[in-house]
Amino acid sequence: MNRRQMLGAGIGAGAAALTVSAGQAQTRFRDLPEASSTDSPYTQVPSRPTTGLEYNPIVTLNGWSLPYRMNGNVKEFHLVAEPVERIMAEGMVGRLWGYNGQSTGPTIEAVEGERVRIYVTNRLPEHTSVHWHGLILPSGMDGVGGLSHPAIPSGKTFVYEFDLVKSGTFMYHPHADEMVQMAMGMMGLFIVHPRDPAFMPVDRDFGLLLAAYDIDPGTYIPRVSEMTDFNLWTFNSRIFPDIDPLVVSKGDRVRIRVGNLTMTNHPIHMHGYDFEVTSTDGGWVRPEARWPEVTIDIPVGAMRAYEFNAVHEGDWAFHCHKSHHTMNAMGHELPTVIGANKKRVTEMIRKHQPGYMPMGTAGMADMGEMSMEIPENTIPMMTGWGPFGPLEMGGMFSVVKVREGIAPDDYSDPGWFENPPGTQAWEWTGELPEHASNDSPATILTPRGGIRLG
Amino acid sequence: MSAADLWETALGPVPSLGISVSGLVTGDVTRSVEATVITSILDIATKKPRTKAAELSFRQAQLAAAGDTLALAHETRRKWIEAVGAYEAAALVGRSQSAADAASELAAELGTTGALSKADQAREHVFTAELSAEHADAKLEAQLAKEQLVRLMGLWGTGTEFYVPDSLPALPANAPNRANIERLALTNRIDLAAGRLDLEAVANRYRLNGQTRMLSDAEIIAGAEIEREEGESERAPVVDVEFRIPVYDTSGLISRRGKLEYLRSANNLAQTAIEARSEARAAYAAVTGKHQIARHWRDQVLPLRRQIDEQALLSYNGMLTSTFELLNDAREGLESQLSAAEAKKDYWLAEADTTAAVWGGATGEGASEGGDEE
Repeated sequence: MNRRQMLGAGIGAGAAALTVSAGQAQTRFRDLPEASSTDSPYTQVPSRPTTGLEYNPIVTLNGWSLPYRMNGNVKEFHLVAEPVERIMAEGMVGRLWGYNGQSTGPTIEAVEGERVRIYVTNRLPEHTSVHWHGLILPSGMDGVGGLSHPAIPSGKTFVYEFDLVKSGTFMYHPHADEMVQMAMGMMGLFIVHPRDPAFMPVDRDFGLLLAAYDIDPGTYIPRVSEMTDFNLWTFNSRIFPDIDPLVVSKGDRVRIRVGNLTMTNHPIHMHGYDFEVTSTDGGWVRPEARWPEVTIDIPVGAMRAYEFNAVHEGDWAFHCHKSHHTMNAMGHELPTVIGANKKRVTEMIRKHQPGYMPMGTAGMADMGEMSMEIPENTIPMMTGWGPFGPLEMGGMFSVVKVREGIAPDDYSDPGWFENPPGTQAWEWTGELPEHASNDSPATILTPRGGIRLG
Repeated sequence: MSAADLWETALGPVPSLGISVSGLVTGDVTRSVEATVITSILDIATKKPRTKAAELSFRQAQLAAAGDTLALAHETRRKWIEAVGAYEAAALVGRSQSAADAASELAAELGTTGALSKADQAREHVFTAELSAEHADAKLEAQLAKEQLVRLMGLWGTGTEFYVPDSLPALPANAPNRANIERLALTNRIDLAAGRLDLEAVANRYRLNGQTRMLSDAEIIAGAEIEREEGESERAPVVDVEFRIPVYDTSGLISRRGKLEYLRSANNLAQTAIEARSEARAAYAAVTGKHQIARHWRDQVLPLRRQIDEQALLSYNGMLTSTFELLNDAREGLESQLSAAEAKKDYWLAEADTTAAVWGGATGEGASEGGDEE
């Protein structure tokens, strides 16, 4: 495709966008399901299904589920591939490509045994396709441009239709100019719920996709040619401190499904619990094949769902264990200046740059506390404040918040956990606090439950 | 007016650097020292008819002396600009060196903490060391430029301890408007005045009287027959500004030698006038062009450099780039400042050449080159 054709395609895509929003679009798209769209980067909890088969909807972190309609026995969806502006965190916009107004795209939810018909409209300036990762379907529906079917030209709508022969955790992404389109943020979850609601039931079901971008500080659009050195590590194209918390009621059975469409593996670690992988994108894991873990490595191009009983109240960190992945954009060529005396050099530099501040001589934590002006459209490398000070995190980091008595469909942030007395690390000042000192000769039994009483 | 009076008027206050510099700062050709020196001479030298050969030759000598003075003034002004420009450059190289010093200091400190290898430290140090050599060279150049100025001004002893500013005056908002520079040159140039006097002297010597008509320099160069008594030649090229050369009736002249001498003088004068025109146009083109170039550096390049410096600091603040990169951007900014200063110096040299093109006194390296010599 040469530049001229590219421009033509761009105009075509723009025209298509116009017709959809205008009134006469009703005629052209009369027979299609509505192309829903959202401009919100916040978690939208889906309502329970009123038509079709019953299921327990998944909560897509900082995302939403695509509305559908029933056409006879077929469940119909309308995906729109298009350029989007994703608020990756407050103060940073990514000019990405995505689906239906956001990157990552909306989650497609259906039930095992259903037949789905998915209209895909291409509003990108180039062709695209959708590959249904992990689903068992006819070869011609597999979405590899040029192999399974012709790629969807700019401005056209193609239809995918197949039966969902098994339940599980899947995803969708382009397979035409795949490298560019995935680097631009095109991906979404595809969840097939079990036909039998009693099979593997959970109270809360969370889903997220790991996506990496290279958006240079001060810019807006990803560098699509980057292979390994990404600077933004995201959950559903959001970065800390603005990834929504995973809110759980104490005692809930919880499932978290994670898919990896970055260029490297991510050891996802959750504090406070041990848990087991119950499903991959290949299907459910038999109970005798599971083992307990606290960190689950998500390979590239793969998915894992793990489950736990939320018995431990608290605010539990949930993050990739690669420590650079819990950082936002930073320089990786910086020399270590720990221990350097920058007093003299600071005076010398200020003759040229009066605003120069010496940093890093005691470590980099000063970055988390200082709020100096940095390039536009950039979130500080480490940031975020908790109840006890700066969190000094970024990228792939959120918090699982387990609280007593949260209503079933309530996912609103309950605030910070208040540690019960005596259950929080304290500063030693030369004497043990009252509850830890004992001058009585009587035998005292340690209370059960791990909570010490004063 | 006695000869003594004439001398006093002509060479009276020997043009001093002070006056020369005031002409530079105002950037106004008509108010420069040349104007004060020449105007009075020209009035007497050109307007009144002269009969005495002695007086004519005295006037000729006077104009020659005034011409020398103008040449000296012009040369001095150029050297002053070059000397100040050299000090300005040396100061900027000094700032570059101070930025490099800071990087070197940081490299040494990081060597102490164990964060920078000997090779990387040496890389920072060698850059600083090379820059010190450049700085020394720039300082020496400035000193030598000042010495040339001292020589031209004929100073010695404590007189040489004058202060040369660190920077040339800022670029004026506009280049001098000298669209009429050709007319100015033809009216004011001292070599043209001298040429007229030559012609007058020849006419006087051979007792030519009865001035028949005036031909322009262009007409003479184009070959108009001076002897013809009829009206102007039909072949006369059209010029905007005429430089009139008197033509005498040479028909009654006995000696052919006298006629030839007269023709030679008239042709010489015409040639000088044609050259003066070209020099004036070249000087005007140079001063206008150099002003645009210097303004481009000042208004386009330097603001971009400032923006780079600002963004470099933001990038450093975000721990995206290191102190070394910050200093490197500062050093590159100083390179641009150095080029901008060079362009400003070129403008002031061209401006000085414009003055010389209008009044005379341009040396070989002057007007036509517009200060391009390195």
